[in-house]
Amino acid sequence: MFANWRKKSVEPAVSSDMLSKQRRYNSLVKALHADIFRYAYWLCGDKHVAEDITQETFLRAWRALDSLKDDKAAKAWLITILRRENARRFERKQFDYSDVEQDTLEDNISNSSEEQTEQYLIRRQIGKLDIEYREPLLLQLIGGFSGDEIAELMELNRNTVMTRLFRARSQLKELLEKNDVRGQSNG
Amino acid sequence: MDELKFRRQAYEDPHNQDADFLAQINAKPENQALINELKNLDTKLSNALKVDVAEDLADKLILRQQLQQHHKQRRQTFFLVAMAASVAFVVGISFSLLRLGPIDLAEHALAHVYHEDIALHVDQNVNFSQVNAQLASIKDFGNAKFTQQPGKVYYTSYCDFQGVKSLHLVLQGEQSKVTLFIVPLEKRMVLDKTFADGKYQGMGFETPDAFILLIGEDQADLSYIKDEIKNIFI
Repeated sequence: MFANWRKKSVEPAVSSDMLSKQRRYNSLVKALHADIFRYAYWLCGDKHVAEDITQETFLRAWRALDSLKDDKAAKAWLITILRRENARRFERKQFDYSDVEQDTLEDNISNSSEEQTEQYLIRRQIGKLDIEYREPLLLQLIGGFSGDEIAELMELNRNTVMTRLFRARSQLKELLEKNDVRGQSNG
Repeated sequence: MDELKFRRQAYEDPHNQDADFLAQINAKPENQALINELKNLDTKLSNALKVDVAEDLADKLILRQQLQQHHKQRRQTFFLVAMAASVAFVVGISFSLLRLGPIDLAEHALAHVYHEDIALHVDQNVNFSQVNAQLASIKDFGNAKFTQQPGKVYYTSYCDFQGVKSLHLVLQGEQSKVTLFIVPLEKRMVLDKTFADGKYQGMGFETPDAFILLIGEDQADLSYIKDEIKNIFI
């Protein structure tokens, strides 16, 4: 505590440490906040909750920023914090957001072009996907992680992760094709 | 690589770059088609996953962090101020406790005589009953009193010995005036039997209720008064 105090008032060298920490944090926020927010959103299915989780995640990240040695690992690090934060939400047990109520999903249809309609449908299907299949897919598509990295993040073995990715894609593909058919027959 | 394994891998990650996998894609046109389909699906999924992010989210995140940092600093400052205050408080207390440390009565008595030098020049011709009344008014003396007039009393007054209310008398010795201090017994007082400086001689003793200090120019006078006090002061 006293060391901190001295840092601020006496030693400019150390206060520039603080500055560079701030800069590091700012660039972390700028580079990764969108991915983190989207990941949180697809985890919980609610924009406000996702924003809260993102806030908490970044605050924790700030507090622990010194423990992040390698900036390349920043994304995985943040995701780990986020997953823990999301799990804590259930421990706190406030509201029951648990199974994603997909009616809250972004409604772009009002502006309806065909592409947006399709996107809306895809979103619904992603939301309906079981969380255990959805999460590895999110990590792969939003996070850009490899199978091994996902396995490490989710504390699962690689085969389980790959199986879930396989099921996630097949389910989505099937659902979307079914929709296509229905859409065509309706149209 | 068999067909089943290829399909599994394609579904697991259509962007797989393993040489085996790539070879298998090129081996058959339908494999190529499947991969294209899956890549297409992935593109759609990736686009669908890109929900809008509030434009100010990044700013909010930085703001929250800075507010928290600010609070932390304020808490630290508060803590430091509190620390400084308690240190000051402790220092203050210990200084006043130091004042309660041993008091050298002799030194004080001499200083008092020099300071209140008018006492040696006035003649109030005090009766011992008046002195007794003053003694009685200082509660620390218990029932101490003079049983008779201790010779001529020129001067009587309360005085202060480091916060202890005491009595200051000037009596007539055989040759010269003698100053007499009667100080309530208190543990932290230290009394020398005899003391002196360039001008005055001093002598101290203890009665059951009080310290008595005598200060005068003549040693014989001191002994004389001492004997007298011992007889009539109870």
